[in-house]
Order: sequence, then C-alpha cells, then structure tokens
Amino acid sequence: MNRVAITGIGVVAPGAVGVDAFRGLLRGAESGVRPVERFDTVGLSAHNAGLIRDFAPKQFIAPGKMRRMNMLSRFAVSAAHLALLDSGATIAPESGVVLGTAFGPVQTSIEYMKEYVEKGAALAPPQLFAESVANAPGSHIAIEAGFRGFNVTVTQRESSALAAAMYAASQIVKGTVPAALLGGVEEVNEMIFSVLDRIGALAHANGAVGEMARPFDRRRNGLSIGEGSAVLLAESPEQARDRAKVYGWLSGFGIGRDTTAKISDWGEGDDQVAAAMRSAIEDADLTLDDIDAVYASANGTIRGDRLEYRALQTLFGSRLPPVVATKGWFGEYCAGGALQLIAALLALGEQSLHASYGFEEGDPEMQLDVTREARPLALRNVLVNSLSAGGGIVCTVISREGA
Amino acid sequence: MRKADLNVRIAVTGAGIICSIGRNKEEVWSSIRESRAGIGVMSRFQGETFPTDIAAEVNVDLDEMLPISMRESKRLSRSDLLAIVAAREALAQADEGATSPLPRERAIVSTGTSTGGLLEGEEYYFRRLEKGRRRARASRVLQQPTSGPSEAVAGVFGLGGGVMSNATACASAGAAIGVAADFLRSNHADVAIAGGSDALCRLTYSGFNVLQAVDPAPCSPFGADRKGITLGEGAAYLILERWDDAVARGAKIIAELRGYGATCDAHHPTAPAEDGRGAEAAMNGALGDGNVAAASIQYVNAHGTGTLLNDSAETKAIISAIGSDVPVSSSKSFFGHTLGAAGGIEAVITVLALQNQLAPPTLRLDRAADDCTLDYVPHTPRPLPMTNVLSNTFGFGGSNVSLLFSRVL
Repeated sequence: MNRVAITGIGVVAPGAVGVDAFRGLLRGAESGVRPVERFDTVGLSAHNAGLIRDFAPKQFIAPGKMRRMNMLSRFAVSAAHLALLDSGATIAPESGVVLGTAFGPVQTSIEYMKEYVEKGAALAPPQLFAESVANAPGSHIAIEAGFRGFNVTVTQRESSALAAAMYAASQIVKGTVPAALLGGVEEVNEMIFSVLDRIGALAHANGAVGEMARPFDRRRNGLSIGEGSAVLLAESPEQARDRAKVYGWLSGFGIGRDTTAKISDWGEGDDQVAAAMRSAIEDADLTLDDIDAVYASANGTIRGDRLEYRALQTLFGSRLPPVVATKGWFGEYCAGGALQLIAALLALGEQSLHASYGFEEGDPEMQLDVTREARPLALRNVLVNSLSAGGGIVCTVISREGA
Repeated sequence: MRKADLNVRIAVTGAGIICSIGRNKEEVWSSIRESRAGIGVMSRFQGETFPTDIAAEVNVDLDEMLPISMRESKRLSRSDLLAIVAAREALAQADEGATSPLPRERAIVSTGTSTGGLLEGEEYYFRRLEKGRRRARASRVLQQPTSGPSEAVAGVFGLGGGVMSNATACASAGAAIGVAADFLRSNHADVAIAGGSDALCRLTYSGFNVLQAVDPAPCSPFGADRKGITLGEGAAYLILERWDDAVARGAKIIAELRGYGATCDAHHPTAPAEDGRGAEAAMNGALGDGNVAAASIQYVNAHGTGTLLNDSAETKAIISAIGSDVPVSSSKSFFGHTLGAAGGIEAVITVLALQNQLAPPTLRLDRAADDCTLDYVPHTPRPLPMTNVLSNTFGFGGSNVSLLFSRVL
C-alpha cells in the first residue's frame, strides 16, 4: 500500500493566514467571503468574493525578492514558507514542486497589456512579462526552498489543486522525489469576476434571499470566487517516520471526465463522476464502507451540485456518509482548490466534520446528510471531490492511517 | 495509491502536428527533409509595431481542417483549434489498420500550453478598452484559461479518461507527456493523448522582445552570431498506450516512449543555470527512468532556442550527461520556438526522426559558437542509425524535461 504523508500545511486564505487561523475560520461563524472593495462591482449582480486581506508578505519574503513577484507569487511563496515552517523539518533538495491554478496570472497579463497599449510593444516592463507565465509562483518556491526536483504547474479549472496533488503523489510513490510541495494559487481580479458574473456563474441576491454561495441548498444560484494560496508538504512514508506530525495521508486518486459537459458548464454524466470517485477509493485499496465522509466539490451552482449529488447517490446509494461542503467558507477557485483538501485533512485530525457554510435549506430533490454544524465523528477515510466546469473530474481519498 | 510500474512499456501509436512548416506529419517531414524553414515576416497584429518583425506562423485556414462547425469553433481559442487539428491526425493514425479502435471513452488528455487563450484574452481586453465591460462580448474569453486546449480536444473527440493541463512555460508539453506516461504505467489512465498547443499572441511576442531574447533575423541555434529565439506557434500530440494494450488492439506501434526526467534549476525566474545542471539532471533522469545507458543515446533533439544562455548551458549539459560525440540538432531553426507546444512538436519530430532514421538538421548554422562544441548536424538532414534518442524541453523558472524515445521495428 503506497500512501503519501502530509507533514506541513501553509495557508494564505481569505480571513486566515496560517493553518491555525484557517482551522479557526472553519470553526467560526464568519465566512471569508465578504463584500469586494478591491474593484468596482456596480452594475454587476454579484458583489462578494473571498479576497485576501490583512496579508503582509514581507513577513515571509525579503523586500528585494518581493519586488520581483506578482501577487500570485507572493501568495504562493508565503504559503510554501508557512508549510515548511509548520513541518519544522529540513527537506531534501531533490524534492519537487507542483502548483495548480485555474486562471493563473490574468491580472499580470492585464497589467502588461496596459503598458503595451500606453508605452508600446518595445517598452513594456520585462519584469511583468517574467511574472506573466503561470509557473512563476512555482519557480519562485523552488528558488526559495532550493528544490531541484520536478517543478510544474497544472491547470484544470476547479480541479487544479487536486490535479497537482495527484501529480505530486504519483511522483513520490514512484520514487522520483522524496518529498514535494503541492498546492494551488489563485488571484481574483475585476476581469475574472465580471466575466463570471456576466455568464451568470456567480451567486447573487434573489429577492429577499441574500447573495451567498449556498452549496446543496435549494435556493442556490451560483458560486462565490476566492483567491489565495495553500501549500502542503507531502512526503514518502520513510521521510514521514521522523516527522513531529502527520496531518493525514493521500491514499488514492481517480481522474475522469464527464463527456456530457459543455465548455464552461457542468454536464449530466453522473455515472462518469461516480466512476472517478470509485477509482479513487479502489486506488486507496478501500471499499465504499471505509469512507466515513465526503468533502464535496459543491460550490452552490445549480447544475454542479446536482451532478455531484446524483453521482454520490449512484455510487453510495443508501450507504452515503455525511457530506461537507466547504466552499461557502472561502469561495471556489480559492488557492486553486487546495483549501478543500486541507479542510478534510484538518477534519481527520480533529475527528470532527466542519459545518457547511451557506447550507440552510435542503433541496427536496437531493436527499443528502449535509452538515449544518460541526459534527464529531470517527473518521478513518474521507473522499474529496473536485468536479470542474467543462467536465474534468479529480477525486482523492485521504486517510488517517499511513502505509 | 498504485505506483507507476517501470516494467510497463509505453507505445506511441499515433502522432499529429501542425506548425509553420506543415499542417500534418507528411508536410512537416517533407520540409525537414528538404531543409525548408517556415520563418518569415509576421503577418499577425497588423498596425502594431514590435522591435523585431519575424515569426514562424501557421498561415492556413484552420476552419477548413476542423471536424466542428464554425459556430462551435467561434467559441474556442486559436490554441484550442490548433490542438484539435493535431489531435485529429494523431487519433486517426492510432486507429489506422488496427483491429479495434482506440477506447476513447478511457482516454486522458494531457496538454502543455503556456498561453492558452491569451490571444483571445488580449482581444477581449482591447474591446473592453473601447466599449467598457458591459458591452464587450465575453464568450471567447471563457477559453482563456490554459485548461482550454485539453478540454476542447476532449470535448470534440469524446474523450472520457480525464483532462489535465500543464502550464509550465516552455517545458509544458514535455511535462504533460511525461506525466501521461506515468498515469498509464500506474493504471490511472488507459490511453493518453499528450502533447502541447500554443498560438502566437502579443504578450509573448512583445514580452520576449522586451527581454531582448528575440533574434531580429531567423534564429540560429548554437550559432556564433545567435541573438535569440524566433517565436512560433503550433500544436502536436502523441497517442500513448500500454504496450500490451496496443498490441491487443492490433495498432501499429511507431515508437516507444521509454522514459522521462523532470527537474528544476532552482536558480532564476527566467534564465537557465549557466552550468546546465538542471538540464543535465533531467537527461540523467530520463536515462534512469528508461533504464538506458548514456552511451546508447544516438541523437539529441535539443531545446536549442538560439539564446546565448540556453545553447551554451544545454551544450554543457549534453556533454556531461551523454558525451561529446552525440549528434544534436535544434528543430526550432525550422519552426521557431513554439513555447508551451515545443515539447509536443519536437517529440513528434523526434519520433519521425527515429522512424525515418534521419537526423533533422540545424538550419543556418554556418559557424557554431565557441561555447557550442557539439556536432549540431548543420544545414542538411543526416541519415543516422538511431535506437535511443532524447528530446529536450526547458522553460522559464528553470523547469527542464527530457523525453527518451526508442525505435520500434
């Protein structure tokens, strides 16, 4: 049995910098999704997002280096720094780095194009160009940490961070690297926000029902978006033996695609989603009965949540364990999707499920046990799902027990 | 978690390519055989001026080559469309003469792309400057994320094994092909369509210019007077299957993907380490992964961008990892640097070289630089017995990937 240990976690999330602050956020009463102040939302139907506030990257990055980093790089390098600090271990330089991002450096590209228009193609600043590649955050992490193993950036919309986790875990299990920093990074800007609003993807006020992402709720009408970075230190069982703490183990992955999905929307192929979940469980050498909870992909979209519900029913039937929807706490895309995985790992350690923020009124069409409040529960293994618009699916199983 | 089994051999059963020297393998290989580059004065972005004006553009009507309606293609980015053209050719070859078709419902798509739909993002940006955010049409900008080409290919061809995209700058497609091989070896996927796609866009054209990394003349990799890259565009895919599956299907195996290595310089955001240490480690990684000795490598398809730093660092790396006698060439002298697609396009060139036992040349190499001391196969292709060959792909951030292919008789 090949499992990969998570021995350090670093978080730069809306309303929470550091893993302990994030732990607190998830057990508190307030979501990190708040009214947007960074840009003007007048004329749009949505006005809230999970944006990073009160974050001082100079705590983690030297000023000379920080000047050369865009916001994504600052988020990611800080999160990686926090993850290594959290583990307290010295990690071998042969280790790898893999980050996931859905949108990547859109804001940097816009800043570049602004200069391009104003000053001309020859005089735009080279620094902005260097930071306009999606893998800039990952390469800064490698330079800071001195990691000379693989360094890649994967993009798969809402599944980006779980795809990154799958990549890293596969390489640790293969023996290519002893350890890897894995995670995700995202930045919300006016263009991404307004385009998603324009196509009706974002949660918005509807009469007396206020604007909020409401996963699995009958009144749900869209997602909220978030930003930030979260980085996990993943290590082989041999390395993990000497570590002070292990949050949990990545024990299996399933990847698939819903062939009924259209571009930028969820489809109706619940069989294909269920197959990816089953693959992850089988990959972990487990059966359905070993899964004690599901940390769902649910983000408050009408079609996305319904698809996931149907797939869960198809796979588990009457044996469906409790389901937790975390995205109301910080928003979809937040940290490239890595926070949902971290929440599940924290639940394993605390032996207690989180409340599903934003879930208030059940949908009569979806018979699910969605947590409304924190719920102490014996947790051995948790299924973590990510279903992306366009049909991509990556699922993982995390376990309390290692190899 | 299932572990990648290194005893599982990876068969290449299809290849597709589109770039400035051809719309398919046949056209591309004719250009290589005849030493015909596809570099000229850039026709894109008329009215906008850049410090340099040449590029390796794909100047054909893509719509004619697409198995989709104009209505559908209007919603996709140029990188998506290039990807679909290359994927179509690769998928067709994988079924040619086979007793049973490729199980598309179990095929994963793994695409490397650096820019994705950035070109369409730029156009959206311009429209917004002109009309404001309320009136600019948003439909195409939805394909801006770099996950676009994988999703477009999966959508058009009904591929159900999963989608994964790699945005590791110019190393993207190499990394995308490598991880796809591992997912086959670990049974996380049954078939992979792996490669890369990138369309020329303003940001990269201007950006490499402001970095002063573009040669005002067609690039001259390894040359004494080299001044930088020529920007290109295109797409390419390989169809990868586990050997036994390909045999059971009666598919024709055109090459073996023997292994790969992926490393990072951990040195600088844009410049490679001057000693080539990361590149050397990537080649060593590929040799180890494929269990092939350095002495058994008969040809290296170099990253060979034409920049001062890359070509000298890569030369050092090849000498350390493989030796100083191995023939090396840069196909970028034909079709420029296709950025995120380069690892895919050059993997297909490498497979064609193996099949034809012909090393593609490095064009315009009248005089090699003093720090470029290898045999770069100048000017004309060279018949060369090749069993094991490497294809190198490096990128910003010091990411390095080397793919190891072997001949199949």
